[in-house]
Formats: sequence, structure tokens, C-alpha cells
Amino acid sequence: MLKSEELTKKFGGKTAVDHVSMELEKGHIYAMLGPNGSGKTTWMKMAAGLMKPTSGTVSFEGMPVGLESRKHVAYMSTEPYFYSWMTIRDVGQYYEDFFDDFSMEKYRQLLREMELEEEMKTKTLSSGMAAKLKIAVTLARDASVYMLDEPFNGIDLLARDEIRRCIISEAAEDKLLLLSSHLVEEMEAVADRAVFIKYGKLVEVRDLEEMRLTDGVSMADRYREIYGHTEVKQA
Amino acid sequence: MTKLLKYEIKKTWLTKLIVLGITGVAELAFLLGLCLKDSSAGEKIIPVSILTLVMIAFGGVMVIGIQSVLTLHRDMNTKQGYMLFMTPRSSYQIVGAKMLENGISIALSGVFFFALGFLDITLMFARYGELAELWKRIRELLDMFRVEVPITPAGIGAVIFASLASWLATVTIAYLADIISSALLNGKKFNGILTFVLFIALNILMNYMLRALPSGQGITQLVVIGVGSLVFSVIMYIASSILMERYLSV
Repeated sequence: MLKSEELTKKFGGKTAVDHVSMELEKGHIYAMLGPNGSGKTTWMKMAAGLMKPTSGTVSFEGMPVGLESRKHVAYMSTEPYFYSWMTIRDVGQYYEDFFDDFSMEKYRQLLREMELEEEMKTKTLSSGMAAKLKIAVTLARDASVYMLDEPFNGIDLLARDEIRRCIISEAAEDKLLLLSSHLVEEMEAVADRAVFIKYGKLVEVRDLEEMRLTDGVSMADRYREIYGHTEVKQA
Repeated sequence: MTKLLKYEIKKTWLTKLIVLGITGVAELAFLLGLCLKDSSAGEKIIPVSILTLVMIAFGGVMVIGIQSVLTLHRDMNTKQGYMLFMTPRSSYQIVGAKMLENGISIALSGVFFFALGFLDITLMFARYGELAELWKRIRELLDMFRVEVPITPAGIGAVIFASLASWLATVTIAYLADIISSALLNGKKFNGILTFVLFIALNILMNYMLRALPSGQGITQLVVIGVGSLVFSVIMYIASSILMERYLSV
């Protein structure tokens, strides 16, 4: 469904994503894991069509990402990105204006669940509230692919439970969810597959159930193996 | 495109409202001065308010253009740009909406300030009864600068059209320079200086091309300059959209 081939992004002399080739399939929730600066966000931005690769390609359903893929891919950045003059209602209106798959009804329901008022200005929101708003407006789309960059950042424990529930409720046979985070334990409760990235290179993509059965390790254990002091096995 | 246009208007309405507010205050002062024409206060208020109105008219049109460039810059260089660039809209539509919004705003503000100026001059000389003398003075002023344009509705219209179209072309050059800066020179040494040099060079090129056009004199010359500027704006629009589509990362 979402495929990158030899995808590379360089910023000056630094390589943020280094020849990453992988294919993510629908019907799964992927956890994209790696410490800060490992290239998760850069890969996602290229897959969302916001950033141009230095080399390589990224495609959605066989087509290079771009105008058409943006209709079907819902991307949530880790940073707040709403126009400062907008209210929460304006944000919903904006998404309704531009995305055919956006449901205002679902947006309002998610706002209620996350205890956000439509009249509030986005510039007055706390970081936790802004994070919840990002989740609400992204999940109010009926997209084929959801890419959520650090969805649990800046959110308290109870709200995290709520967000986790919302994310799981979006999972379906015809959808792909990709979540990046460095909160490994949080991700283990949500994802069924994991993408491990280190220094911009893909280490491996694993089915978590299969990993538990064959290797006898959890996602957190494997994370420690890869990013701790143990030797890294390249995929 | 209409939805993009709607949000471009929303992004810039506050500045326009401020310009309109200042214009309103200056206009009220002018009208107050007219009412107090025989007092010393009236004599002081009228010239100050006229000067203010003239400055707002020129400054307002300039500010609208500059703000459009700043809005584009913010969209390309801050996280707020995700709102724009993650929508299923092409760069042609995005730049087109920005340019259209700016063109409409410049045209409307030009017409507005011209109409206001015309109204104020008429009011002033209806009050003082020296309208013929005013036109004579304006003609003398234009002759001093060797402006060979008749003071007729067509002549004045041609001056406004050429001025606004030239300003729109300058703004579109700034668009292209900013897109090159954000898409191709981002993070590179001397980005700011190179962008500025590019902006100046494109302006010189435009002026050279406009002068090279067979234009004649008077109104014809102004119309040719205006149309040439609009054609140049379209070229800048196409170049900006292509570069944005191929190279811009936000």
C-alpha cells in the first residue's frame, strides 16, 4: 500500500534517511520506532508528500505520492501546525473544505471525548490540548492511510488511553496505520508490526506476534537489542 | 481554487482592516477639516489629512503586496505550511490562489483609493469653488514631470492600470525569488543575499523587456506597460508553480 524504494533524504552533509526500502501493507498498525533523529519524521514527511526526497521513490497504491495520494493519506505532524487565527471549529471547517473523507460529525464526537471546546482559539491551547486536537481532526478523516508522528507526545495518561482507543477503533482490513514514537511500551499495546530505524537506515520490519513466537522477545526487548549496546543486525 | 482563495483572504484580512481603519480616521479628519474650513484648526487639519490619505493610498497598496509575499514565506517556512501543503491541491492552484487574491486586493484597493481621492477632491473644491484651478495645477505638475497623459477618465484609468499591474508584477517576482530561496537555496550560504540579487535582477529584466515593447506615447504606452506587466506576472506564476511542485519541501 505504501512503499519506499531506496528512499534517501540529505540535509547538507547529513543523511536523515538512507536508502530505505520497505513496503507497508494494509490491515496493520505499524509502530515506527527509533530514537530521536533516527529519520522517522523525515520518512513520514516524504510519504505524506510534504518533503521531496534527495533520491529514491515513495509510492501509494503504485502511484508516486503527490496530489492524488494526499486525498487518501492522513498525516499528523508531531509539531502543532494550525493557523494561529483559527478556532477549533475553523480547523474542522478547513478539513471539511479540503478533504472529501472528513466527517464533521465524527470530529465533533472526538472533540467531546477529548473535552475540547469548538470556540477555543488554537493559539491559546496548551500543548496537550493541541496534541488532542491534532488527533481528533486527523482521525475524523476516513482515510486509507493514517500516519501519526508521535501521537502520545505531551499527553497525560488518561488522554493517552483515550487516544489509544481511538486509534485502535480506526484499524480495519483496508486501512494502514503508521505511528511513530519513542514510547515503546505505549506502542506495544497498539501495534501489530514494528519498523525499526537507526541512523536513517532501516534495520527491520517485524510482525510482533511472529517475533514473540520465534525469537521469544517483545517489541521493547527488540528495541533494547537494536538501540542498546548490542550488535545491530541489518535487514 | 475557490476554497484556497477563501483561506488566502482570511489570512490577510486583518492587515486590510487596519489599512481601512487608518483610512477611515484620516478621511474623518479631512471631512472635519472641511467643516471647519474658516477656522485655523480647519486650515491645519486639511493639509495633514490630505497628506495622510495620499500616504495611506500608496502605502496601503504596497503593504497588501508585501503582506502577500510574507504570507507565502510563512507558508513555506513554518509548520503552519503543513495546513496548506497537505491538502490535495497542486502548486499551480496554491500559487494561483495567492496571486489571484493579491491581484484582486491590489485592484480593489487601487479603485477604492482612486474613488476616495476623486470624491475628496470634488468635495474640497465644491466647498472652495476652485475646481478648474485645481485641474490646471495638476496639469502643470504633470507637465513638469513630462507626463504626456491627458487628464481624462481614460488617461487616469490608464495610469492606475499601469501602476497596479507593475506592482502586481513586482510582487510575483518576489514570489518567485522567495520560492527559489525556500526550495533550492534553503540552508545554503548567502541564501538571503542571493535571493535579493535575484529579485533585483528579475525586476531589471522586466523593466528592460517592458521598455523594449513597441509602445507609442501617452495612454497607449501605459496600456502596453500594464498588459506587459500582467504577461510577466503570468510567466512568474508558471515558473513559481513549477519550482514549488518539483522542489519545495516544507
